[in-house]
Amino acid sequence: MRTTAVPATPRYVAGRVGQALLALFGVVTIVFFALRLSGDPARLLVPDGAKASDVARVRERLGLSDSLWHQYATFLGHAVRGDLGYSYVQNRPATDLLAERIPYTANLAVAALVLSLLFGVTVGVITALRRGRWQERVLMPIVLAGQSMPAFWTGLLLVLLFSVGLRWLPSTGYDGPLSLVLPSVTLASLSAAAIARVTRGAVLEQLSQDYVRTARAKGAGTWRLVTRHLARNAAIPVLTVGALELANLLGGAVVTEVIFAWPGLGQLTVQSVAARDFPVVQAIVVLASAVYVVVNLGTDLLYGVIDRRVAGAVQGGLS
Amino acid sequence: MNPARRLDLIDRPSHRDPSMMRTLLAVTAVAACLAATACGIRPATEGRDRGTLVIDTTNYPTTLDPGKQYDADTYSVYRNVFDQLLRRNPRTGATVPWIATSWRQSDPTTWTFAIRPGMTFSDGSPVTAADAAFSINRILDKKYASQQFANFSMISKATAQGSTLTVRTTVPSPTLLSYLTTLSVVPQKYVSQVGDEKFAAKPIGSGPYTVVSASAGTEVHLRANPHWWGPTPQVRDAVFRAVPNVASRVVDLQSRKADLAVNLTPDAADQVKRDPKLAVLSTPTERIAYLAFNTIKGGAANDPRVRRAIAAAIDYPALIKNLQRGYAKPVNSLVTPLAFGYDKRLPVNTHDPALARRLIAEAGAKGATVVMATSPSFNPQIVQAIQADLGTVGLKVQIRGTDQATYLKKVQDPGHDWGAVRFGRWSCSCLDTDGVVYPLFHTGEIWSSYHSATFDNLVERARQVTDRGKRAALYDSVFQLLAHDLPGVGLFQDYAIYGANARVRWTPDAQESFYLDTMKVRRR
Repeated sequence: MRTTAVPATPRYVAGRVGQALLALFGVVTIVFFALRLSGDPARLLVPDGAKASDVARVRERLGLSDSLWHQYATFLGHAVRGDLGYSYVQNRPATDLLAERIPYTANLAVAALVLSLLFGVTVGVITALRRGRWQERVLMPIVLAGQSMPAFWTGLLLVLLFSVGLRWLPSTGYDGPLSLVLPSVTLASLSAAAIARVTRGAVLEQLSQDYVRTARAKGAGTWRLVTRHLARNAAIPVLTVGALELANLLGGAVVTEVIFAWPGLGQLTVQSVAARDFPVVQAIVVLASAVYVVVNLGTDLLYGVIDRRVAGAVQGGLS
Repeated sequence: MNPARRLDLIDRPSHRDPSMMRTLLAVTAVAACLAATACGIRPATEGRDRGTLVIDTTNYPTTLDPGKQYDADTYSVYRNVFDQLLRRNPRTGATVPWIATSWRQSDPTTWTFAIRPGMTFSDGSPVTAADAAFSINRILDKKYASQQFANFSMISKATAQGSTLTVRTTVPSPTLLSYLTTLSVVPQKYVSQVGDEKFAAKPIGSGPYTVVSASAGTEVHLRANPHWWGPTPQVRDAVFRAVPNVASRVVDLQSRKADLAVNLTPDAADQVKRDPKLAVLSTPTERIAYLAFNTIKGGAANDPRVRRAIAAAIDYPALIKNLQRGYAKPVNSLVTPLAFGYDKRLPVNTHDPALARRLIAEAGAKGATVVMATSPSFNPQIVQAIQADLGTVGLKVQIRGTDQATYLKKVQDPGHDWGAVRFGRWSCSCLDTDGVVYPLFHTGEIWSSYHSATFDNLVERARQVTDRGKRAALYDSVFQLLAHDLPGVGLFQDYAIYGANARVRWTPDAQESFYLDTMKVRRR
């Protein structure tokens, strides 16, 4: 039956994890050297009136006066033991800083993804089934408007309406689940459009297939047609886009987090890059790459669950 | 998959729809996921009093250890938790007693301070001269790596005897007292016991407030310290929230989420004014907006006539009226009237495009390109306004923008290869000419692209004379020299702009101190 077709053979997974680690190593190395070319954290840390000797002192304390290769070797040596260093600015372990931000980002990312999937898939299916009718002419412009408006604009408009005007929802920060509404709607308005368009395309493609005509001929109603026949066949492109959106969202939504004073990874990233807080930036890069890799791996494995043709291809390809 | 089987599946009637089951499962999984992540966050308002004063700041404080950092968002919070050795009179700027009740200079490099008796830290332990000495010496300690080291580097050692604190400086220092107003005193015993990292996480001070909670990245909750030696503050609870976007700070005021917001732009202040239940609180500060020139590798700007032409080409009143919307004052030099050494006899900078054109023609610089280095930290509207002003008198301004870290690397490089002119804002938090002109123009300082042996000599002497009259005379010569050589020009004195709920009664001061114990809230 269905379970026997799951492609998660140990060899396949091990291969993918190996590739992932290699990619991670490459990204971290590039970021390590690129960061050190672009600016000096010591200059940002000293007060305005500091002397060159003060800057040198800070550089030495941070280990930045050692040779690049020495710094790199030290970093790798610590990193393999799970020590990603101390924040230059906050004097706390970089991993602690990240750990504080992850719940906020995860919360917002999941909420935004759920919203954009619900809205995007619904709109995509409706506009495909009712192509050229009024439903499409009403829904598509709404979706496009959501996608074309930048987050800082959408976010502020929502706040003006729901926080300043109606006083229904909190404007910034986290005061319970209601605080999630505006930032996740802002984020979802961006990703829902992508999902809606991919869904619409995928459903349209399936609609021209023989099995749909057959199902129709056999008297399947629209609901049954969508849930039983189209859903599974059109799911793969939607899943791909959804996974990419999730990986993006988990990396932190910079603009939305700044507008809503949401203390997630996005804000931390911007602040750390601006301050050239190397250890924190490196830790964020490690985390973001890991998330990308895991989400992509998870998606590939899910393809097999949804469509056994993919599973067969994957297994055949590797064995 | 075999299409025949699929058709087969369609035909077979089924009571339990497997795809429906999976949808249900997926929804449950997502809901569980949401619930699990939501558990990781505590609502900010949890356990908050109704009378809490909510303050929107720009950034979350980088630390709560007052020995480490000295940036506005950080010290606005910790200076309420710790007492400083000295304070300033908010109106006159004069140094007044705080932890130290009196002080005297026993010889040119030795200062003694009498420590206020009967003060305690919030854990009940007494505040002693030894704590004050410890607070200074830890900043001087290389291993502790304080970012404030440069402010206290004139001190060689602090010692304590009974209730007397003795501070020795390497050379006679006229600015020592200025910097001691920024020194927060920490409990030696507690800090040594728990270590610096734990102390920053759970700070104990002697100030008017104690830290109730600090959730990193979001907010810090302070509560009035019942054992404080001063008068009981009216504001019992205060929450500092990090809201980096200025438009978001304004909507927080408008939606009554915040009672006070710091660091508003002039545009944002106009928006706040439109709400009758909100008020704008502002005050001139010691921060100066200025242009600094590269007199060494500045191309056309190497010629002092071109620098004078640039100074005459700038429409100062327009900058103040249109871009600062009145939240600025004209200046006559690179320091504000608040700073020691300010010379009120100098004429205010004036807009004189005819003079500018003449000087440019004289220097043969008509049509010359002037490179202006800048970063997002500096208001682009002002940079563009200056570009336009210089364009009308015949100079081509090429704006070269990079991010702040790159900008600093370029501008502070000893090669001086960064362009011809840059716009900046400067505040030494010391109310003294030394803190402005020395780092900006003394040969070899990281900001300086100017060289004058006479200037170096004058500012070096002024920094080692403690006699006020002699110092003032030295700075008169300094300003005369600067007006002639013009390595930089003051644009305007900047204001601090706060937005507040009209119920908040508070007068901000020029030092941008953010003392909660000076705030009052009118009851509804």
